[in-house]
Amino acid sequence: MARGGSDRSRLLLVLLLVSSLFLITLDLRGVNLASGLRSASQSVLSPVEGFFAKIFSPVGNFFGDAKNLGNSRKKIEELTNQVDKLTAQAAVNEDIAGQLNQLKGVLDLAGRGGYKVVAARVINRGSNSTFKQTITIDAGRSSGITPNMTVISDSGLVGVVKSVTSDSAIVLLMSDPTFKIGVRIAGSQSIGVVSGQGGNSYLLQLLDTTGEIKKGDVLIARGSDNNRPFVPGVPVGIVNTVQSNASSITQNADVDGITDLEKLGVVAVVIAAPTQPARDSLYPKPQPTVTVYVTPTPTPSPTTKK
Amino acid sequence: MSQFRLVNTSLFLLITFFIQESLISRINFPWHGFSLYVAVLLVLLSFEDRTGSLVFGFIGGLILDLAPSAVTPFGQWALAMTFMGYLFSVNRETIGDFTDRPVAFVSFISAASAFAYLTFLFLGLLLGQENGGFGFNLGAIAVNSIWTFFITPIFLPLMIRVRKLLLSSRDLI
Repeated sequence: MARGGSDRSRLLLVLLLVSSLFLITLDLRGVNLASGLRSASQSVLSPVEGFFAKIFSPVGNFFGDAKNLGNSRKKIEELTNQVDKLTAQAAVNEDIAGQLNQLKGVLDLAGRGGYKVVAARVINRGSNSTFKQTITIDAGRSSGITPNMTVISDSGLVGVVKSVTSDSAIVLLMSDPTFKIGVRIAGSQSIGVVSGQGGNSYLLQLLDTTGEIKKGDVLIARGSDNNRPFVPGVPVGIVNTVQSNASSITQNADVDGITDLEKLGVVAVVIAAPTQPARDSLYPKPQPTVTVYVTPTPTPSPTTKK
Repeated sequence: MSQFRLVNTSLFLLITFFIQESLISRINFPWHGFSLYVAVLLVLLSFEDRTGSLVFGFIGGLILDLAPSAVTPFGQWALAMTFMGYLFSVNRETIGDFTDRPVAFVSFISAASAFAYLTFLFLGLLLGQENGGFGFNLGAIAVNSIWTFFITPIFLPLMIRVRKLLLSSRDLI
C-alpha cells in the first residue's frame, strides 16, 4: 500500500517536472504563452493598483498627521473631527501639490529637450519575486506608449518601458542591475556605459581609453538607433568618485543617479524624440553665484565742542 | 486530494498573489523587500501531505510566473517550487518536528524562502539569464528571509484558520 503511494508520488513529481520544463521550453522557443498570460494578469491588476494608489497616497499622510490629536472630551472631539477633516484635506492637497510639482518639472524638462511626452502616475513597484526593479505607471497602449520607450522624471532618466497593456505599463528602472545605457560626459564628450547597481549608485565604464573623468562630470544619454530604447540628451547621473585602478584598461567611476527613484510620483514617457538633438541643453546648470559688493561707508568722525 | 480542495486552495493562492502584487509591492521595503506570497506558499506546503506539497508547489509556482514584471521564462518558478514541494514531501517527518515549535517553524520558513529564491536563481543561471550581481542577489535574498522571519508570525494564525476552511470534510477527519 505504502509502496503504491510512493510510486504515485514519484509519477506525479515526474509529471509536474516535465510540465514545468515543457512550459519553459515553449517560452524559450518563442511561443507567446507567457506574454499573453502576464499581460492579462497586468490588465487585471492595474485597476486594483490604481485603486490602492488613490487610497494609500493621502491616507498614509493622514494617519501620520492626525495621530497626535486629543480624543476624550466632547468639545475636543468636535474640534478633533474638524481638524481631522482639514488634515485629510491638507494631506490630499499636499499630495496633489507634490505630484503637480513633479509634473511641472517633467514637462519643463521635456519642453527644453523638445520631446513629445505622455505624463503618467506611478501606481506600483515591481514584485519582489522577479529580481527586477520596476514600477507600474497608469498609462499604456491607449496613450500611445509602446515597449522600449524612454521614461524621464523632472530631473532626468528613470528607465525604459518594458511591457505595455491598454491602460498601464511596466518600466524597468535604471537602478536594476541588468540596466545599461550608453552615455557621454557633457563637457569632454568622452563616451562610456553606465550600469545599474541596485541602489541609487551606478557604475560608469569609460570606453574612451584616453578620456578623463572628473568628480562632478554630468553624464548625458547618447541615444539609440531610431531613439529606441533611449532618446539622446537626457541627464543620467553625476560622477561622484573616480576609481583609480592602474591595472584596468578602462577608467571606472561611481555615479550618483540624477533622479531619486525612491520618490517617483509622476513620470513622463517620451513617445517622440526631437527633430533636432537636445545635445547638452538639458544637463543641470550650476546655480549662478551671487556676488555682493560692499562699499564701506565713511564713519562719522567725532566732533569736539569747544 | 479532492477537486474541491484543489480549486479552493488554488483560488486562495491566486488571491494572495493579487494582494502581493497590488498591495505588498507598494510598500517600499529596504533593498528588495518581502514576498508575502512566497512565505504563504511555503507555509501551505509545510502543512500539506506528500501529494499536496508537489501539486501546490507546482500550482503556486505557476501563479508566481504570472507576475507582470517577470522577464523569466514562464514555468521557471513552477519548476523551482515543484522542486521545493519535492523537498518538503521527502522531509515530511522533519518538518513535522518544526510545526510544534513556532520559532523553529518561522526560522524554517525563512530558510526555505531563501532556498526557494536560490533555486530560482540557479535555474535562471542554467537557462542563461542575466539576473544582476551575485552579491546583490544574495543580499536581497537575505533581507527577504529576515522580513519573512518577522512577518510570518503575524499571518501564521490567520493562515492556519484559512487552511482549516480550505480543507474538505474528508480531509478534516
